[in-house]
Amino acid sequence: METTAQAPEIQNQWVSRLQGFWRTFSRNRIGLVGLAMLIVIILMAIFAPVIAPYDSSSSASVKIDDVYNPPSSTHWFGTDDAGQDVFSNFIFGSRVSLTVGFFAAFISIIIGGLLGLVAGFFGGRMENFLMRFTDIMLVIPDLPLMVVIVALTKPSLLNIIFVIGLLGWTTTARVVRSQTLAVKSRKFVLRARAVGAGRGHIISRHILPLVMPILVVQAVLVVSLAILNESALSFLGLGDPTALSWGQMLNYAFGRGAMSIGAWWALLFPGFGIVWVVLGLTLLGQGLEQVLNPRLETHHLMAGRPVVRGEAREDAEKPTGKNPLLEVRNLSINYVNEGKPPARAVENISFTLKEGELIGLVGESGCGKTTLMLSLLRLLPSAGQIVNGRVFFNGKDLTALSEEEINAVRWKDISIVFQGAMNALNPVRTVGDQIQEAIIKHLPGFPHDQRLQERVVELLDLVGIAADHKDHYPHQYSGGMRQRAMIAMALACNPQVIIADEPTTALDVMIQAQILELLDSLRKKLGLAIIFVTHDLGVVAEMCDRVLVMYGGVTAEYADVDAIYNEPRHPYTQELIKAFPDLTKPKKKLSSIPGYPPRLDALPAGCRFAPRCPLAFDRCHTEQPPLHELSNSQSAAHIASCHLLEASK
Amino acid sequence: MNKDHFLEVRGLKKYFDADRPSLFSREARYVHAVDGVDFTLRHSEVIALVGESGCGKSTLALLLMGLEEPTEGVISFDGRDITHLNDRERKAVRRKIQMVFQDPYESLNPTQTIEEIINEPLVVHGIGNNKNERDERVIKAMEDSGLKPAEVYLKRFPHELSGGQRQRVVIAAALVLEPEILLADEPVSMLDVSIRAEIINLLAELRITRQIAVIFITHDLGSVGFFADRVAVMYLGRIVEIGTMLEVLEKPQHPYTKALLSVIPVPNPRLRHERIILQGETPNPIDVPTGCRFHPRCPVAMATCKASDPPFVSFGKTHQAACLLLVK
Repeated sequence: METTAQAPEIQNQWVSRLQGFWRTFSRNRIGLVGLAMLIVIILMAIFAPVIAPYDSSSSASVKIDDVYNPPSSTHWFGTDDAGQDVFSNFIFGSRVSLTVGFFAAFISIIIGGLLGLVAGFFGGRMENFLMRFTDIMLVIPDLPLMVVIVALTKPSLLNIIFVIGLLGWTTTARVVRSQTLAVKSRKFVLRARAVGAGRGHIISRHILPLVMPILVVQAVLVVSLAILNESALSFLGLGDPTALSWGQMLNYAFGRGAMSIGAWWALLFPGFGIVWVVLGLTLLGQGLEQVLNPRLETHHLMAGRPVVRGEAREDAEKPTGKNPLLEVRNLSINYVNEGKPPARAVENISFTLKEGELIGLVGESGCGKTTLMLSLLRLLPSAGQIVNGRVFFNGKDLTALSEEEINAVRWKDISIVFQGAMNALNPVRTVGDQIQEAIIKHLPGFPHDQRLQERVVELLDLVGIAADHKDHYPHQYSGGMRQRAMIAMALACNPQVIIADEPTTALDVMIQAQILELLDSLRKKLGLAIIFVTHDLGVVAEMCDRVLVMYGGVTAEYADVDAIYNEPRHPYTQELIKAFPDLTKPKKKLSSIPGYPPRLDALPAGCRFAPRCPLAFDRCHTEQPPLHELSNSQSAAHIASCHLLEASK
Repeated sequence: MNKDHFLEVRGLKKYFDADRPSLFSREARYVHAVDGVDFTLRHSEVIALVGESGCGKSTLALLLMGLEEPTEGVISFDGRDITHLNDRERKAVRRKIQMVFQDPYESLNPTQTIEEIINEPLVVHGIGNNKNERDERVIKAMEDSGLKPAEVYLKRFPHELSGGQRQRVVIAAALVLEPEILLADEPVSMLDVSIRAEIINLLAELRITRQIAVIFITHDLGSVGFFADRVAVMYLGRIVEIGTMLEVLEKPQHPYTKALLSVIPVPNPRLRHERIILQGETPNPIDVPTGCRFHPRCPVAMATCKASDPPFVSFGKTHQAACLLLVK
């Protein structure tokens, strides 16, 4: 009963999925060309009796004059050694080649798919046995084995199909197994088990749908391989004598003097047929892979043209007289995307950083904080461009520097500690080696002797890693130690500014506390200025001097840390603080901010926080609020962007 | 039925093979992931299991779900031993105990629609006589999880939703079975702060509206504050302190709990305080330290801590901690 009730529903979903697949596939040129090439041949095979001018089997009335005639109006592709029309044989030959190709591939895919699935899913001894068997099959050269088997048995079409099919499954088994293993270890399979699903359900609903795309691509390639194998066997004279395939046409022409007579047409056309089909299948396979394998897609922010300087930039300005270490003024960054309006990832951000100061940059994921940091060192992906504003470092405008000049600033003056220390370290080189490399790369004049080693040890000591860990690999480090190593690397060239991009996000509270303590001590010891990028308000309260709260790419509020927590003026800051658990008031219910941050490609018309703001009124939905200065004090500027603050200006 | 012992865990242990005896090493070595855990869970109670990574809290969750077989110990649910079950019995228990995973990006099958995902448990357990009945349950579960109106989400795919919405889908797929216990393994650690409160509030509501007991597993003591009834602090495979939320947060007894509490950031710069930062990291659970397993990192360790394993000391009816300093 269950199945009948669900059948039409499932069918509908499959139809809509196929439609969706076709929409993407129809935009893939390579795949479409391959598909068209294949369809031509398939149509030709189906309608062979209609298209072929001569019946291929009528060789009764052959005369000596008919043998190896060049192409003419009666025989478009000429005639062969038996006086038969090559064009007709070519058309009928496609039937044999395609039949063998598809049926043999069907056998291979079923065997390979099943073995791969079973080995990958069940693992253990079963997997060991199946995969060793596959390995043995893989090292046996296919073609000689096929030749032997076909030669020993009767060379009928059926035999050939079975031999090719039974020997061609090895790569499929391996591909399917590795995909099954990858899918099996994903969390949603564990969740399905926790829900109570049995093995059959997990295989059919969770594993197969994700193995299928790869199996489809693999099937297309196996078909082309089977056609090639059939041609090779037939060419060697092991084809079915009653079914003329392209390979056999080549065999006959080659063995019966076509070369010596110069009858190129008897060789060229069947050869062309094989190339056409195999090329068509390969292109189709490649196209399918591009469509079905999501890993080959590029991120929407990565696609795009190379950096173009914005046209609407203000004239060059001088930094303000106070000369802070780093001054970011009215910085705006767009991501350009062909055919779409640019995404305004960062808009009109300004802040300053003094020597030894620690500023917190707070915002939710997607608020543009990482984009802003990358732009300071001009490390944006190619689609990102600075369209307005300046970044002054020691009075130098970083946005106006050449690539070479900015390279001299990177790492030596300003360096970055990236989020996710495991991915930022090279797993096959020791940590000491990688720190050494950072020194050599950025300080080419550094002596390549004992002093280099001493410097590495000194840097490790600075971040609290014992010298004997120098020659260890990243996987031998714990998460906290890797993050320390990343900090050591960032310190390699004695920078004045360190940008720490969510350095503690993936770490436990205790390790987080260790890293924060380390950064704070480095700041005092080395006089470092630090930009601390985070979404964690608690961390900011613990250690920052000033705070910039970003929302949807714009400044929500910028003030001293005490003002942010004790007199927040922007509704977003207020709500964010209320949403943060406070252990000093354990019984207090957390208030949440309804809704979600805006997407860069769908920014609201007015204030970007308006859709979630509890205090929003009409104007907020239509007009973007300007930055209001709330404090006249030079040293403790307090800025917030909210229409409600207009009066208090 | 004993109301106080809805779910009871006694002497639970799980050792994984680290090294099998082989030609080169004669001794087998084990990862002591969970090494003797006892606790009870009452009806519609929220208990928070807190600890750093490597303390065994996630393994404990898998043991409670029956996704791993315990090496030793007993788990009983509703007065029945559920430690080792065959497939059919296990399936029946799973209807009652459901789990919410840490990573809402990974725990949903990208090829299924939201409707298929939430309907799946019903299909697996053969619940509902017809499609209408199942649809009703799916929509009820979605609305209880805050996915309102449900119709908007039914035909969507996981990648079209935000992290918070996905976590709601995971919760809805657990609720649709009407479980009595919900195990939440770090359900908010991957989410933004503004969304975290929402999910925690949702879990808190569920225990009131549906009388569901919640085991909330987290490394962040700060996030358990307002909705946990009791807190259990784990270290290296064991519970070192357990008590009501206020007892543990306001009068912590174990030095480890004290340290954990001191490093939780307080969102007010005027309350910056001295932090007890433990050096090093949780030792690997293969070579567990002798005596008190916390002694190598303990700021107040004594000579005797190295030798003897501390027993639990009670403070009042509900509060216990295992530390030699507390033994009088």
